[in-house]
Amino acid sequence: MILEWLGKVGNFSLTMLIVTLYGLLVGAFIERVIAKVQGRIGIPYSQPFINILKNFFKRTAVSHGYMFYLGPVFRIAGGIGTLAFIPVIYGSEMFSNFSMAGDLFLVIYFMFFGQLGMALGAGESGHPYSAIGIARGLSQMTAYEVPFALAVIAIVIQYDTLSITEIVAAQQGGWQHWTLFTNWVATLAAMLAFLGMTGYSPFDIFLAPQEIPIGPPTEFHSAYLSLLQTNRALFGATKLILFMNLFFGGATGWIELMIKTLLIYMVAIVVGVAFPRFRVDQGIRFFFKIPTLIGIMSIIYVQLVLIS
Amino acid sequence: MVGAAFQEVLLQPLGIYVIALGVGFLIPLFDRAHRGSAILVFLAALAYMAGIAGANLLAIINGAPPIDIETAGIAPPFSINLRFGLFEGGIVFAVNTAAILAAWHYLPALKQHASALLLYLILVMGINGMVMTRDLFNLFIFIEITSIATYALIGMERTGGVLAAGFKYIIATSTASAFFLLGTIFIYYQTGTLNIDDIIAHRELITGPVGLVATLFVLTSLLIELKPYPANGWGLDVYETAHSGIASLISVGVSAGVFFALYKLLPLMDAYLPSIALIGGVTFLFSNLIGLKQDNAKRLLGYSSIGQMGLLTLALALLQQLDATAQQLSLVIGGLFINHLLAKAGLFWLAGSVGREAIRDWSVIATRPLLLLLLAILMAALIGLPPFPGFWAKWELVMLLGAGGQYAWIALILAGSLLEAAYLFRWFSLARQGDATQAIAGAGFRQSAPVIVAALLLFGSGYGVATMMDLAVAPLFLPLLAGLLLWLLDGLHGRPKDLLMLVIVTAGGYWLTHDLAGINRLFSVLLIGGGLLISIAALYRSDSRKGFYPLLAVLLLSLATLLRAQTTLEFFFSWELMTLSSYLLVTLGRQGVMPGLKYLLFSLGSAYFILAGFAVAYATTGSILLADLGGSGNATGVVFSLLAAGFIIKTGGFGVHIWLPDAYAEADDDFTAIMSAVVSKAGIFGLLIIAAHLGVRADIGLDPAYVLGWIGILTATFGALMAVFQEDLKRLVAYSSMGQLGYIVTGIALMNHLGWVTALYMTVNHFLFKGILFLSVAGIVLRTNQRLMYKMGGLIKNMPFTFVFTMIAIIAMSGVPPLTGFGGKWMLFNALMEKGWYWIAALAFFSSAVAFLYMFRLLQTVFLGQRKLEHAKLREAPAILLVPQGIMIACIMVISAWPKLLLDPLSAAVSPWLGGALAWDGFALQTHFGYWNAPLIMAVVAGVWMVPLIMLLLISLTLKIQRVEQFNIVYAAERPHRPEDTHFAYHFFAHYDRAIGFLVRPRATAFWDTAVEWGYSLGAALRIFYNGNGQTYALFILMYFVAMFLVNGGMLL
Repeated sequence: MILEWLGKVGNFSLTMLIVTLYGLLVGAFIERVIAKVQGRIGIPYSQPFINILKNFFKRTAVSHGYMFYLGPVFRIAGGIGTLAFIPVIYGSEMFSNFSMAGDLFLVIYFMFFGQLGMALGAGESGHPYSAIGIARGLSQMTAYEVPFALAVIAIVIQYDTLSITEIVAAQQGGWQHWTLFTNWVATLAAMLAFLGMTGYSPFDIFLAPQEIPIGPPTEFHSAYLSLLQTNRALFGATKLILFMNLFFGGATGWIELMIKTLLIYMVAIVVGVAFPRFRVDQGIRFFFKIPTLIGIMSIIYVQLVLIS
Repeated sequence: MVGAAFQEVLLQPLGIYVIALGVGFLIPLFDRAHRGSAILVFLAALAYMAGIAGANLLAIINGAPPIDIETAGIAPPFSINLRFGLFEGGIVFAVNTAAILAAWHYLPALKQHASALLLYLILVMGINGMVMTRDLFNLFIFIEITSIATYALIGMERTGGVLAAGFKYIIATSTASAFFLLGTIFIYYQTGTLNIDDIIAHRELITGPVGLVATLFVLTSLLIELKPYPANGWGLDVYETAHSGIASLISVGVSAGVFFALYKLLPLMDAYLPSIALIGGVTFLFSNLIGLKQDNAKRLLGYSSIGQMGLLTLALALLQQLDATAQQLSLVIGGLFINHLLAKAGLFWLAGSVGREAIRDWSVIATRPLLLLLLAILMAALIGLPPFPGFWAKWELVMLLGAGGQYAWIALILAGSLLEAAYLFRWFSLARQGDATQAIAGAGFRQSAPVIVAALLLFGSGYGVATMMDLAVAPLFLPLLAGLLLWLLDGLHGRPKDLLMLVIVTAGGYWLTHDLAGINRLFSVLLIGGGLLISIAALYRSDSRKGFYPLLAVLLLSLATLLRAQTTLEFFFSWELMTLSSYLLVTLGRQGVMPGLKYLLFSLGSAYFILAGFAVAYATTGSILLADLGGSGNATGVVFSLLAAGFIIKTGGFGVHIWLPDAYAEADDDFTAIMSAVVSKAGIFGLLIIAAHLGVRADIGLDPAYVLGWIGILTATFGALMAVFQEDLKRLVAYSSMGQLGYIVTGIALMNHLGWVTALYMTVNHFLFKGILFLSVAGIVLRTNQRLMYKMGGLIKNMPFTFVFTMIAIIAMSGVPPLTGFGGKWMLFNALMEKGWYWIAALAFFSSAVAFLYMFRLLQTVFLGQRKLEHAKLREAPAILLVPQGIMIACIMVISAWPKLLLDPLSAAVSPWLGGALAWDGFALQTHFGYWNAPLIMAVVAGVWMVPLIMLLLISLTLKIQRVEQFNIVYAAERPHRPEDTHFAYHFFAHYDRAIGFLVRPRATAFWDTAVEWGYSLGAALRIFYNGNGQTYALFILMYFVAMFLVNGGMLL
């Protein structure tokens, strides 16, 4: 029994390592692509790794209190935990992680864990910009969750299950079984929500990355920042894996996973480089209009076309 | 033998008249000797009259036959006879008792003139005569006697207003009496007799145009004396200006006599019962509408008085139409009458003692707890709250009307009652608000004595009526007993009183609920046990908190009686008692009076919906057992809708929620915790009960359930959205509470096993979350003396425990795994998907997301961010506040790790009603769609949290971590040095407001404000008949006669 669980933990650690490394690499790759678009050379592939290690090895730090200290812990726990509940490789016992603990609903709600803890940690820093960023980020989150929830409900009705493994199983047997093709309305709604989830343009107001440092990470540095940067890679990749499982047929091997997730990510990036940033209230209102409408239609679509 | 005969002579009912007349004639003689002796003899005479009435009444109750008194030695119908039966005895005893108390109150004015004493005796005798006589002309005589005495007593004051009112009174009643005499004459012409019994026996002789006119004259004149709308302006003027002593007697005594005269003659009026009912009903409703804006205390009492008599008239006519039995009649009419007598007279005496004309000026009694208490008791009795006789009478009346299919009348009666409650308690609220300690002349104990006696008699008669109805009175009255005990000990310090209350409530609660099972048992543990846990926190206040502990005991124990109710009557009794006690508790808050009024009115509205639902159920099933609600057949939808409407109002459903934020915010902090965590569950319990009994069968269309589901989820969504934009800490948590209850309502509406388990699970969770949150809010408000969140900040350093408890509660409430809220959300989502309610599921998801916003705002603006300079030395909340929170946190942790502990008992409680069970696969709960393995999730999360933490800790050993001061943040240009411009808290979600703030503009408030305005306008429109001109009033009375004639068949002649 103990051995079995230790084995599971070991497998999960391996998964986590692969996903983190992959996430960092993808991050670097995307930065280079954006740089090409903007006529620059871009960072070397080793840059994200160097960033994390540099922060990790800093010898001084400043703390604003114990919650501040715990903020990054919550954040990365959120990232790791979300990955823990998603079965990564279909058909592989080794890489199905702890998905027997909970279903899709658990994963969606657990994504908030990291955000909440991080927000509390950033809040204790006392920086008003952290608070403003969090307020904007959370508001936007409520907005893009609507089309996402509608799309999820649609596919739950379609596949009659909340278990991610079963949803992936139903999409096996050829690319035409992917949700992308069987229920393109829901996929469209979900991808629009995905744009908000990634936090790229035009929905990156809560981070405002090109300007003065604003948003939740404002006051974090040293080991804290390294945890946050690790989590950005890990959590980003986790979200991609989730979308891949739900809408794009899952993956039966690591290579397939990496290709698919990269392509999904490119969607967000392509939109991101092409569009300027929305104001926060524009961003919120955006999601309540067309994406929500598409989400509503996806449920109607499922009920009328697929079930009957 | 001689003794017995002597006794028989002394106690003969005729003695009332002998004594009254005799002593009346002798008073001037005594007065010549010494004024004091005259007063003594006067009081003795009144006491003797009451004694005779009481003794004979007792004899009749114990089985003696009614006493017939013949006069002139000849048998009726050739002579006048009086009858002293059960009804007569009751009324006469009551009126005479009231007369003594009124005389005590009126004495300072009466004793100015010996003739006043004499007139008073004659007045009382006249009323007795009106009640006891069996001769029509004699009735007229007694009416005249009463009237003359009344005129004289009114005119005793000699001020302009009183004399004018008195003159109008004379005009009106003389006109009415004249018509009465005319009618008597014509009846005598047709039947040849003046004896009432004889006339009734030969009523077929009263025919044709003459008979019609005669009967209508008699009927209408009696009705006019009862002051019907709109021909009652004269009555109102008298009530407004006359001395409260005579006003009280007119209101309860003279009205009683006239009313009973109407009752005696009712067999002649069978054809006119609809008219009588209409007149009574219209008078009741319209008087109460007009009274809404009235500012003069005595005139307000006048409207109430006229309205009550209208209600009595209506009840009499309707019961007669429905062929009610004598027992039902005595219960309804008698109950309403006793209620009106004691409460109305008491209020008049109180008004006389306080001596303030405008109700706004009654704030002088705000610091006089005895007067406030008396005011509250009398008003509560008047609007029919338990345990007073009016409650039982109104219940019986509504049930009988329901059984008779008279739903429109039920609606009218309940609407009128609500209006009356509105203006009476508006008066009470104005009296409550004030802190001046001015002297009130004549409000000493001596002057308050009649009022105190009236209040005590109200309790006593309430108990008496309850025993008459064959109820199990002990459990019902236990809360009141507990309250009384604590009230007597209210002089102690606050903390011993709290402990005493805890002991009493534990003992009483255990006795009341230890034998319950299933859902009732569950709720008893939650409500009573939970209530006690939170009440421990009340120890944090060391002040004496007068009135708080007795009322809290009444509240908690009335919840216990609610849970053990087997009949709809017991349920309703407990419900109203809970409403009354929680209202009074809300008003104990600093600014709690006006929010309390809103709360009371909405709660009474809810109670009346429930009453109406029970009436419809009784009509179809014929039973008042809760278990028989299910037999309602075709009416199930109607019953369910009415009852659900009532319970939705209580839980603060969308659209009827406007009372909730104010009441929660302004009540005492620890009481808000109880209101939110415990009292709101009463509405949930009610919904479960009716859903269980009414909605369980598959053949009943579930449309009301779907509507209920939507109401629930809309409440959740809009509650969450409104909470997002609040600046006030307590209002934020209040809206949050409202929202969370919405989920529970939706869970109940699902009407399947999983849905109900979800609802119960969320109920337990809601209790825990809101208990913790409101208690921590209490701690924060105590320390910072502040409720606006932007004036706080950075308190995590001063109040770490409060922060941790609040944070855990909030994380749990938001539904983030692994804490308990997630289980509730997961089960709700699954249940909604299983049911196919997809749109509701989407909205549930959205409102959960919105909830994150306000939860974060609370934590950020209060605990995080920058601390205000004056809060640097703030202490943590008192330990006694933290202990219950800690216990509840521990419960949250245990349930999070091991939800099966809670879910299995819940599922067992639900299965008798909705079959099915939860499917467990080891530790994982399975539904059709998914699975949830809570212990494993907890383990995984603990693991993924501990590992980075340990890593960080290890790294920190090598790091040089510097703790920095406030304001040591990255900045450009201005150095941050003031918390006011560095703490982002005010209008935190301005951008969200700009995006979707249009959804939460205060439309419901605007709606209800408009409704109130319409009520005022309608009342104002109805007032146009009161132009103060005596001639106009006389004209109205004449027109009344004409109208009665035309409406009742005069056109056909």
